[in-house]
Amino acid sequence: MSDLLLKAGDVSLEYLDGTRRVCAVDRVSLEVRRGEFVGLVGPSGSGKSSLLFLLAGLRAPTSGQVELLGRILPRKPDRSAHLRRRHVGFLFQEPFLVPYLDVRENALGHATDPAAAERMERLAEAVGMTAMLGERPHRLSGGERQRASLLRALAAAPDLVLADEPTANLDQPTGHAVMDALRAQTQEAGLVVVTHDPGMLEDADRILFLRDGRLEQA
Amino acid sequence: MPGTRPPLTRALSPWTYLLRNPRRIGPVFAIQALVTCLLVLIITPTNAFEATARANIRPLEVFTIVRPRVRKGFTDELLALLDANPQQSARVEAKMLWLRMPMIVGEGVAPMIALPETFWAQFLQKVGSRLIDGAMPEPGSDGAVLHEAVVRARGLKIGDQFGKLVDPQDAAPGRFTLVGVLGGEARIGLADHAYASEPLFVLARVPPFQVIYAKEGGKTASDEYLRAAKHAERLGEEEAAFDVIDVTYMEGRIASMLANLPLIIGFITFSVGIVVALVISLLNVIAFQVRVDEFGLYLALGHQRWRLVRKLAIETAVVAIAAWAVGLALGLGGVALYRSLWLDPRGILMSVVDMRPLLFSLCVPVLSTLTGAVALGRRLQRMDPVAVIQRRGAE
Repeated sequence: MSDLLLKAGDVSLEYLDGTRRVCAVDRVSLEVRRGEFVGLVGPSGSGKSSLLFLLAGLRAPTSGQVELLGRILPRKPDRSAHLRRRHVGFLFQEPFLVPYLDVRENALGHATDPAAAERMERLAEAVGMTAMLGERPHRLSGGERQRASLLRALAAAPDLVLADEPTANLDQPTGHAVMDALRAQTQEAGLVVVTHDPGMLEDADRILFLRDGRLEQA
Repeated sequence: MPGTRPPLTRALSPWTYLLRNPRRIGPVFAIQALVTCLLVLIITPTNAFEATARANIRPLEVFTIVRPRVRKGFTDELLALLDANPQQSARVEAKMLWLRMPMIVGEGVAPMIALPETFWAQFLQKVGSRLIDGAMPEPGSDGAVLHEAVVRARGLKIGDQFGKLVDPQDAAPGRFTLVGVLGGEARIGLADHAYASEPLFVLARVPPFQVIYAKEGGKTASDEYLRAAKHAERLGEEEAAFDVIDVTYMEGRIASMLANLPLIIGFITFSVGIVVALVISLLNVIAFQVRVDEFGLYLALGHQRWRLVRKLAIETAVVAIAAWAVGLALGLGGVALYRSLWLDPRGILMSVVDMRPLLFSLCVPVLSTLTGAVALGRRLQRMDPVAVIQRRGAE
C-alpha cells in the first residue's frame, strides 16, 4: 500500500461574502503520508479551517482536487461521506458529543469496524477514560470531553485524522495531554492539526504556515 | 455473523433517542394521543343511532308490516292479494304507533304495535319478548307494555302515562298507561287494538296495518312476494297499492338517514388531522433545533443524509403510532365509561368497538408522520455541517 494518504493539488476555495469575492484558500498543494504529523498554523481568518474542510471533502474546491487514498473526492460532500466515515477521524475545537449518549456510545456509534470496540477500550485506558465510558457528556470536564471525542475520532482506526483547534478551549497542561494522546495513538495514520498555538506542534514532522489562504512556508 | 457487525449501531438508533428523551417527545406524544382520544370519543357515539335503530327494527325479522297507500285502506281485493301469498302463515290486522325515544342528539322512534288481545301471546312468543315487570293490558283499556330500554329512555315507570295527550312532543297519538315492561331482544311495545281503533286514533290518522307472519323458513320468499305484489297491475292503481315494511325497507331508511354521516365524520377528522399534523411538524422542527449540532456532527463524520432522514422519519412515526395506540386505548376506555354511565341507563345502544374511529383517527399519525418527516427532511437536506461546526466553534 502506498504511504501517500492525502494529496491536495492546487486547491482553491472562493465564496461570496455579500458582493465581495473572498478567496479562503488560494492554490494550496500538500501531501500527507502515513505516520506523518502535519501542523497547520496561521493567524485567525487565514483559511486554516477552510483548508481542513477541503481536505475532508466537506467543502468542494473552487478549483483543484483532493485525493484521499488515491481516490479523487467527489465535488458533492455527500458523495464522499462513506470515505470520511471509513477513513477519516475528526477532532473539533468543540467536542461535539451527543448529549444523550454516554462516552462509549459516542465513541462507537459511528464506527463501522467490528474491531472498534476492543480498540476503543484500549484507547480509553491509554488516555485515562476507562472510568468515564459510561458517563454522559454533561458529567465530564472540558478535558474529559475532548478526550471522549478523541476516542470517537480514533475508535475506527482511521487512516487520516484531521483536528481543528483541538486544544483551543483547554488549559495548557490539558491541551498538551490531549495532543500527546493524539500523537501517540496516530503513529500508523496521518495527522493534520490546525492550531493557532505553535506550542502544540512540538512533535510535528512538518509545520505549514497559512496566510490569506496561501501556503507561505513549509 | 459475530464479529462483522458494527459495534454499537443501537446508539444511533431511533429507539435510543426516543427512550432517552421522553421530555422532548412528550408534548408531541401528548397532543397526538389527546387528539386521537377525542376523535374516538366523538366518532364512536355516532354509531348509537344506527345501533339503536337496528335494534328497534329487529322485530321485523319475525314479521312484516303492510301499510296501504290508497285511501280506501285494505279493500277485499287487496286483502285477497295478500292472502294469495303462498308463504304466509297468518295475517293480523294491527295499528302501528311510534314512540318518542331520546337519543344522544335529537330523537329516534321506537315501535309500538296494537293487536287484538287474542294475538298478544303469539306475537310475544314469535318476537322473543316476555313480560318482566307489571302485567299485560286489560282488553279495551289504554294499557300498554313497553320494552325495558324504551321505558328507561323515556324515564317511565309503571302507572305513568304517555302519548300526545300527555306529552305534545310524543309521536303516538292519544294517551296510554304503562302497565308492564317487556324484556328480550325485540324493542317493541304492545297495546290493545280495540283501544287504538277508537275515534281519537282515527282522527289522528293512525292507519290500519296488516302484520304478516311467514311460514317457517319462508320469510324471505314471503317478503319478495309482497314487494312484487305491491305493484300488481290487476289492482288498477298507477302507483303501488301498499308499502311493505320489512327489514330491507327499514335498513334502506336507516342507510339513507345516515348516508352523509361518513362524509361529515371524514371531513371533520381530516380537517382535525391536517391541523394536528401542522402543529406536530412545527413542534418537531422546534424540537429539532436542539439537535442541529447532533445531525451536523453525523453529516460531518460521514453518515449518509438519507439514512438520517430515515432515522428522523422513524422517530416521528414511532411517536405518532405509539401516541395513536395510547389515544385509542384511552378513547375506548372513555367510550366504555360513557356507555355504562350515560347511554345504558337511557336505553341507547352503542358499540364500543367500532372500526370507523379506528380508521378515521389513523389519519392523525399518518399525516403527522408525513408532514413531520417532510419538514425535518427538508431541514436536513439543507443542513451544512461545516456551518454547524463553525458556529459551534465561534460560540
